[in-house]
Amino acid sequence: MAEAAATPARTGGSTAQRLVGVLLVGGAVALAVGVYGKAHDPTHEQPYTLFFSSTIQLKVWFATAAVALAVVQVLLGLRLFDKISVPRRAPAWLGDAHRLVGTIAFLLTLPVAYQCLWALGFQSTDTRVLVHSLLGCFFYGVFTVKVLAVRVRGLPAPTLPVVGGLVFAALVGVWLTSALWFLTSRPPGIPAF
Amino acid sequence: MFRRLVNVVEVLAAIAVVVVVVLLFANEPDSGTTAPASPGAQLFAANCAGCHGADGGGGTGPQLAGGVAAKRFPDVEDQIAFVSKGSGAMPSFGGQLSATQIREVVEYTRTL
Repeated sequence: MAEAAATPARTGGSTAQRLVGVLLVGGAVALAVGVYGKAHDPTHEQPYTLFFSSTIQLKVWFATAAVALAVVQVLLGLRLFDKISVPRRAPAWLGDAHRLVGTIAFLLTLPVAYQCLWALGFQSTDTRVLVHSLLGCFFYGVFTVKVLAVRVRGLPAPTLPVVGGLVFAALVGVWLTSALWFLTSRPPGIPAF
Repeated sequence: MFRRLVNVVEVLAAIAVVVVVVLLFANEPDSGTTAPASPGAQLFAANCAGCHGADGGGGTGPQLAGGVAAKRFPDVEDQIAFVSKGSGAMPSFGGQLSATQIREVVEYTRTL
């Protein structure tokens, strides 16, 4: 989600072949994440807390920050594609800012995903948990597609915005089924850190 | 200058991905080197620890260890009914675990 300004690489094959290749790689990544989560024995450890009261709190706030940055990145992307006109004159650094914000958002997801995979694995104990597990796998798969889509030349024009939108939707879905659920299932008041 | 910073951050992100993947496989716990856990402990690890913590110390769900479970439910049958039916954020395990399994995991939580 962070590579809008990257220079596409030269690749062979037809447009369809390239697109299928990119999708296959993304699908393999999503599948690998799911297979690892299912095959690995969950440790139920809470390996790190940083300055938070628990690993769960760290995950909730890192995921929330990632979603907030993703919203910013979507807005920057919309400006890059001239879908919005604020600011009226796009600064030269807009593309780099889009990349930076997306990269930081992605970095924030890594400790969250690590604890999910390491300590909990792929679970299906109820609908929310199953949807969360599936969306988590889908997110990293579609993120891989996005990373490749900005570097592979000759893909259909709608590929990048469509995949970017899917990355954002997947991240929001993961957040809705985890962090938001966690925050709303707590007693009313200021959420703890 | 800004673009160089962005490039550096992207390289760091790629390195972070590699580190995460390596950690996921390098820290794989040894299997068969420790005594097998009781059925209740295994059920707890598989069904409860995700919310209540590996040691029952609490997490998304409330603490159970330190006698908290027994204090909250002085009658074990009340705790079994609570786990079976669920309440609020606590899911119902009646459709996922047998009556014997629920009793085993409940009794385990009262030993934490």
